[in-house]
Amino acid sequence: MKKSVWVGDLAWAGYLLVLAVFFGLVQHWPMVCLAWRGELPAYLAKVRESRRLVRFQGVKTVNLAQALALYEKGQALFVDAREPDEYAELHIKGAINLPPGDWEALDKPPWTEIPKDRPLVVYCGSKACDNALKVAEKLQALGFARVEAYLGGFRSWDEAGYPVDTLL
Amino acid sequence: MKNASFFLAAVHRDLRARWRHSVWLGAGTTLLGLGLGAVFFYAGLQKHLAPFQFAEAVMGYRLLPQALVGVVAAVVPWVELITGFLLVVGYLGEVLGRMLTALGLDSGRFLLGGVKRRSCLLILTGLEAVFTLVMVVTVARGLKIDCGCGLLFQREVGPAAISENLLTLVLAAFLYWLALPAGENAIKV
Repeated sequence: MKKSVWVGDLAWAGYLLVLAVFFGLVQHWPMVCLAWRGELPAYLAKVRESRRLVRFQGVKTVNLAQALALYEKGQALFVDAREPDEYAELHIKGAINLPPGDWEALDKPPWTEIPKDRPLVVYCGSKACDNALKVAEKLQALGFARVEAYLGGFRSWDEAGYPVDTLL
Repeated sequence: MKNASFFLAAVHRDLRARWRHSVWLGAGTTLLGLGLGAVFFYAGLQKHLAPFQFAEAVMGYRLLPQALVGVVAAVVPWVELITGFLLVVGYLGEVLGRMLTALGLDSGRFLLGGVKRRSCLLILTGLEAVFTLVMVVTVARGLKIDCGCGLLFQREVGPAAISENLLTLVLAAFLYWLALPAGENAIKV
């Protein structure tokens, strides 16, 4: 192949990339600055929080300390809203698995045997996931009266060294 | 060695010429190119419209220093938008050009070849190579994160997303090869 073909293609590719950099920086300059100052994670958490407040406004939430208190009281049933393989690997001790979308499982035991007034604490993987809120919302809609979503996620629970269990 | 190289180059040229002159293969390739451009334009648009969500996905890979996440999240959508747009426009022009030339209008020839098609395909090949590498590293590190691909639904980084990337990489590289000028013969050995 002629060298000039390659050079020409690469030169134009470079020009198009410069154009993309220019448009990207101009359009998203505030975000670029936020990230440069290291404030992006905090800002993202705030954005997530406000989005959740609107999207899941009917769902009560608990933090790590409150979740532990509920766990220690022993009445609450913990619901793991992650995928079955993650649940099998490690989960909060005593939790049962209910990935979002697997709603058929709710028509079968153990779900049919759980009293509607039993406190339920739903969690997913980390602070960033919405699955705990999705599952909590669904359980509320099914008539469970005391549903709460623990938003710290399994990662925070595990990092704090609280009781976990595995199926493996 | 020199003979073998010339032979290979000749085979390449011949294959390319046959492919280009077949109406069905040509139409199929145009459709593939149109699809590739459309997918990238759509993916770029999704990321562009939700920049912070994309930034969160970039951060999830835990490969870049915090300071650079913003630049990547701002620029990648524009790379996809520009290349996707030019490819779509170029291949649509190709369809129109082929129709006009088939009708005997010579002006249709000006619409063939696309708008900086080879450069766009080079960029996409490079982009997909980087994405694939990043995903392989992520799977090897055992991270379970959203891929941030910006397509119809959220997907986790895994074998499916990696194969999808590889497929696009091969397609972009193949379209680039097909779009190379026809008469090149100065092979350096």
